Amino acid sequence: MKNHNSYDLKKITSKYRPIVTFKVKKSIGSHTPEWEDIVNEIMLNTIEKIKSGEFKGESSVGTFIYTITRRRIVDYIRRKKRRAHKYIPESDPFPDPHEQIENKERAEMLAKKLEELKPKYKTILYLYYYKDLSRREVAQRLGISPRKVSERVHYAQKLLRNLIKK
Amino acid sequence: MKKCRYEDLIDDYLFNRLSKGKKEEFEEHFFNCPRCFEQIKEKNELISVIKDKGDSIFKDMRIEEESKNRTRDKIFGFLSPKPLISATLTAALVLIIIFGIIPNITNETPEFMMSDDAIRGSSITLISEAIPSEFRWEDLGNDIEYKVFIYNDELLWEKSTQNNTISLPEEIKTKMIPGKSYSWQVKAFSPEGTLISSSSKVQFTWRKNN
Repeated sequence: MKNHNSYDLKKITSKYRPIVTFKVKKSIGSHTPEWEDIVNEIMLNTIEKIKSGEFKGESSVGTFIYTITRRRIVDYIRRKKRRAHKYIPESDPFPDPHEQIENKERAEMLAKKLEELKPKYKTILYLYYYKDLSRREVAQRLGISPRKVSERVHYAQKLLRNLIKK
Repeated sequence: MKKCRYEDLIDDYLFNRLSKGKKEEFEEHFFNCPRCFEQIKEKNELISVIKDKGDSIFKDMRIEEESKNRTRDKIFGFLSPKPLISATLTAALVLIIIFGIIPNITNETPEFMMSDDAIRGSSITLISEAIPSEFRWEDLGNDIEYKVFIYNDELLWEKSTQNNTISLPEEIKTKMIPGKSYSWQVKAFSPEGTLISSSSKVQFTWRKNN
């Protein structure tokens, strides 16, 4: 069992914040303006629980933070559902301009590289990710094995990764 | 580098295809596995871009598919009037089926089963749940045009609206088989016609009410 002093809180925050952010945005939608507050709450709550000794290291830090995150999201969705019956929630289409711009540039570059891919790889991404066909359906359409579909998707991704690094 | 046994679940997770239990197991895993998390982030970005900008990225593919369809139409057009006769026969048959057999099914209220979290990236939040024959999503503001799509394996129906709710026409409902899984999706367009946002495809099942 670890003493709370043996945890590097800064390191924990910088390591887990992106993961918590990802999960929160995926669950409640990134256009929902509250996502940032919720992430902040989860991180604060985590640090408090480690400092107070409530987290005793029975599980890994990752699992501990996941539990806090999941509970907070369930709570948020439950409240929102209750509210949604009374009125239609307002939404803000531009919640995080800074991040939006950064992501936008990356997204545009990625889109350009996608357009330039060889037809072989472009087709597979088109069917599998754009048209949402299952691995089996894509395989049938192209006359290749489902395994080959995964391999090709994987390879297309690798190509894109390299193109973006350049 | 050795492959993590959870890696194969990444796509299914991002497309909300995992069962609740499997999903939680997978999430707990990536909270503990930096390698998987990196891959999830990368794939998520790729899928978001494909969903948001797919219309222009895959322009040429869509044109190809459409021209295939057109060729098919041309062939059928060329074969008339024989197909006309068979079409009449088919229509008669369909009418018999609709009025003879289907009423037992269509009298039942459709029930739409949604998965609990079906939101990805900067997508639109779909808030419809078990609302019979009505689909609802989060409003993104004034002057936004939404396009709603219903798919089985292929596109079954699409319709534009400025509201944030839509009902299915009867003719589509009769085409939908209870117990079979369908999906729906909403895309939002600015007044100028640019795609602003897109929801993921959300699966639902039309269940018989006993």
